Amino acid sequence: MKLRNLLGGIALAALMAAPVSAQTLRYATIGEPPSLDIQMGTATLASTIAQHMFESLYAFDEANAPQPYLATGETISDDGKTITITLREGVMFHNGDALDAEDVAASLNRWAEFGARGKLLGLVSAEATGDLEVKLTLEAANGAWKSILAYINGGPVIYPAEIVSAAAGEPIAAENFVGTGPYKFGELRPNRYVELLRFDEFTPNPDPSSGSSGERVANFEKLQFVPVPDVGTRVSGVQAGDYDYAEFISGDLYGLVRDDPATQVKISDAPIFGLMFMNSETGPLATNTKLRQAIMTALNMEQALQVSVGEPELFEASGSYFPEGNIWHTTAGTEAYNQGDPEKAKTLAAEAGYDGKPIKLLVSTNYKAHFDDASVFTRQLADAGINVQLVVVDWATLLQLRGQSAEWDMFMTHHGSVPDPVLLTVLNDSYPGWWKSDEKHELMAKFTGTSDLEARQAAWAELQALIYEQLPVVKVGNILSYDIASPDLKMQFGKAPVFPYFWGASK
Amino acid sequence: MGRYFLRRTGAAIITLIAASIIIFGFIHLIPGDPIYVMLGDGATPEQVALLRNRMGLDEPLVVQYMIWAGNALQGDLGQSIFFDTPVTQVIKEGAETSILLATITMVWIILFGVPVGILSAIRQGTWIDQGLSGLAMLLASVPTFWVGLYLILIFAAGLGWFPSSGFPSIFEEGGLSNLRYLILPSLALAAPNAALILRLTRASMLDVAREDYVRTARAKGIRPYRVVLRHILRNALLAVVSAFGFTFAALISEAVVTETVFALPGIGRTVVQSILRRDYPVIQGVILVTVCLYLVINLLVDLSYRLLDPRVELE
Repeated sequence: MKLRNLLGGIALAALMAAPVSAQTLRYATIGEPPSLDIQMGTATLASTIAQHMFESLYAFDEANAPQPYLATGETISDDGKTITITLREGVMFHNGDALDAEDVAASLNRWAEFGARGKLLGLVSAEATGDLEVKLTLEAANGAWKSILAYINGGPVIYPAEIVSAAAGEPIAAENFVGTGPYKFGELRPNRYVELLRFDEFTPNPDPSSGSSGERVANFEKLQFVPVPDVGTRVSGVQAGDYDYAEFISGDLYGLVRDDPATQVKISDAPIFGLMFMNSETGPLATNTKLRQAIMTALNMEQALQVSVGEPELFEASGSYFPEGNIWHTTAGTEAYNQGDPEKAKTLAAEAGYDGKPIKLLVSTNYKAHFDDASVFTRQLADAGINVQLVVVDWATLLQLRGQSAEWDMFMTHHGSVPDPVLLTVLNDSYPGWWKSDEKHELMAKFTGTSDLEARQAAWAELQALIYEQLPVVKVGNILSYDIASPDLKMQFGKAPVFPYFWGASK
Repeated sequence: MGRYFLRRTGAAIITLIAASIIIFGFIHLIPGDPIYVMLGDGATPEQVALLRNRMGLDEPLVVQYMIWAGNALQGDLGQSIFFDTPVTQVIKEGAETSILLATITMVWIILFGVPVGILSAIRQGTWIDQGLSGLAMLLASVPTFWVGLYLILIFAAGLGWFPSSGFPSIFEEGGLSNLRYLILPSLALAAPNAALILRLTRASMLDVAREDYVRTARAKGIRPYRVVLRHILRNALLAVVSAFGFTFAALISEAVVTETVFALPGIGRTVVQSILRRDYPVIQGVILVTVCLYLVINLLVDLSYRLLDPRVELE
């Protein structure tokens, strides 16, 4: 009798439907996020979650142009070194305090000193010059300043002054996650979920909604970000109605979900791209530009993308660092891209004095695409007589080894879509690869020294051409990742943005 | 019995100390830096050095070990580098899932493996025995992730009878009905283990059935079912119960594939993810707790021999 009761209970439990509440959005993530203090780290998932809690002075609109968000406007001095920003009135933090200039100054100063992208702006100091007015003093004029302030990934989101002062260079603890966004921090359960709760006193931006800028409306009571590492389970979970949204679905499942009425596909509007960095500091490639050109000439990117992505709708062999339609798109220098010519590469390698010594290519197996690309490149380079030795490690080891210039000649990584070229890692002198040529510095000064868009676009075109000439890095190609959502979920965006957001979403 | 218990406990403490040194040493020998993982791809060496210093990761290994071991003795396993929460909380979150998953899985294993093993043994050589042996081979051979994905596809995405993944705590909203989240994963995890128990039960039963006292019992005219249950099964169970202990401990630490497929917040997934992130305190804490668990289960299994077989002396 007892056994019957137990079995009956299990059957009853099974039949108890567990629909996802219309008031909760459940988002299946690829894994657990690191700290949600996104000033300090650049993990995509952390930014996706934290953008609902933390906000910045500027935000990108649909056209990717930075618009005032917590700010209402600015004045810039003639030399471009002093920027005075006025703030929106009546903005409330999750702890009930009103946002003022002291909070903004403290947040910007902490970010400039310790933030993941804090050095990009060249901020000397930020000081409150009124209740709702902040003065930024820069080392030099920086044409990308507004984009840098708008980019939340490793960017200057605003916290209350007392919290940033206490945290300084340490990541802010979860209990101190206080922002101004439409959702406030609820709970972090390791390996279970991160839960955000609607902030009922939220004061929306009065401008019409466009991209991440303008009005933000929180329709859901809760947002739950649930780690579901297996891609098949993320897909089945959306099909079963257990999740409303699932990120990073693999290319091999595209045909399956595209035609499935139980899912809607959200292809990314911002391609990510594979990169193979070359060592500009030590080793056989450091000063031998001709050998780098031989390597570039040998590579057929379409073959690599075919292997690493598969589905033709999801990749594009494009050498431009920004996709067509983007204000930074240029084809300058891209004639060197995707040649796949082993004979010409052989000739160039001979001219470079290459003696067959193995070239160490550091790659991780954690990202399948990296390993697939590296394997294809090894074969293609062998056809051109260039001997590549794959050094295969896990991602954590790669991150450590790539900081030691003697350990590698090339390494594989990838790059997310960024709103301004200044955010590309290759332009950062201290990023592994350590590209620091005089020509680069000259063009960088031109690029960042003006706020004039046309002048900056022209300088960027020259910089891209220089990348293809000096080859500090090789771009593999654009990968259009995609997410899926339940058919009932209505979102504010059409194609999936880099950091999908759920204000304005409902079901 | 008392002396035996004390001796075993002393041996367990020595094992624990040795294990803690090995765990600590090996984990720190793996190349890779948790700070890079934490700060992301764009972190500069200066930022990495700063944070490493703040977290005490630039101290000599011996100093780090002494601090960790000293704290562990007081029940403080440190702070997760990745989650920035106490390791004990991370383990607590994982332990509920893992223990419940292992328990439900053991129920399936016992309900299926033992009776079917007995049936197979008493019908030795018949088509029933051959069919069941074939079934056992099939279950043992099919990969757990494959079984798991098909269970999700059929019973969650297709029929909608069970949730596809995740596991909300039974102490939260939903209570015991949250156990439905563990039905599919436990079935996937039980399949290969039930097959092994089936084979083991069958083999033990056949071994014991050849003993003289079984022949004597049959010759005395005792009813066949009584011979099977009282004379063969009870003795055959000694080996099977040993396997239960190991299987249960292994289910907790080795369920990583099932936990990944079903997105369960269990111990196995936690430790694997922590290794990939080089979250040293979590890896050390989880392995230490798992070692303790193995030691306790081993002790309980040894003690249970005495209950099953009065001839066993605990000396």
